[in-house]
Amino acid sequence: MRHEIELVGISYRIRPVGDTDASFILDLRSNPILNKFIHHTSSSINDQLEWLKAYYQRQGDYYFVIEELHSGNPEGVISVYDIDDKLQCGEWGRWIVKPGSLASIESAWLMYECAFKNLGLREIFCRTVAKNGSVVSFHDSCGIKNKRILKDFFTINGQKLDAVEHRLDSEDWSILSNRLMTLARMIDSKRTRNLVD
Amino acid sequence: MNEKEIENKILKVLTLVLKIEADGKTSRQSHFEWDSLKHIEIIFAIEDELQIQFPEDQLSGLDSVQKLVQGVIALHAP
Repeated sequence: MRHEIELVGISYRIRPVGDTDASFILDLRSNPILNKFIHHTSSSINDQLEWLKAYYQRQGDYYFVIEELHSGNPEGVISVYDIDDKLQCGEWGRWIVKPGSLASIESAWLMYECAFKNLGLREIFCRTVAKNGSVVSFHDSCGIKNKRILKDFFTINGQKLDAVEHRLDSEDWSILSNRLMTLARMIDSKRTRNLVD
Repeated sequence: MNEKEIENKILKVLTLVLKIEADGKTSRQSHFEWDSLKHIEIIFAIEDELQIQFPEDQLSGLDSVQKLVQGVIALHAP
């Protein structure tokens, strides 16, 4: 949906996706290093623009570009969607970060802040292809304990794949957020030192 | 400090952070536990242990024991 939520962190910000981001999104989703575990994406920029057109109409769907604050360069995308207002619950995903970027920790932190503070959710979950071990491990490393396997949940390239679902509520986020923020600050201190040097 | 001593200190950090038996061939590709969050913890733990500072633009490329060892050696090169 069209939204105006922008969150500024320490080294990165998340801001709404727009039509001018279509080619960046297409590049990310077409990158063979990054697209092993995501649904097929058309290589046509017009198809991407059509997808965005439909997204703008979809309520409860917040799609963001992750940008590095100093350079303003886009380094990835992330979303919160399928929000159930009654349950105050939503899913997050469409998370892709460019190879070599250090945005993963802070972009996850910004997304959780958006979900719990800006959108007022009580709970958020993420479903990852079980074979995508490093992303499953990332959620584990964040300290999320509430997880389960969803058998044959995804169909990607005609293949049925299990998902691992990690769930986090606002109460646990208040405990886990400090750890992610500490790591984000450590990365920023290194970046700042490099800029001074 | 020689190459072997550097490698041993790096293996000690990896074993502690990843809770695996790390060896000279351990890499992010071979161990999914070495995720992007753990990667940052590993980098800062090695910096503390060896009293060094990796340049920020090299961080993501230090994705195996061998590359970490070479990265440390390069910092000590004259």
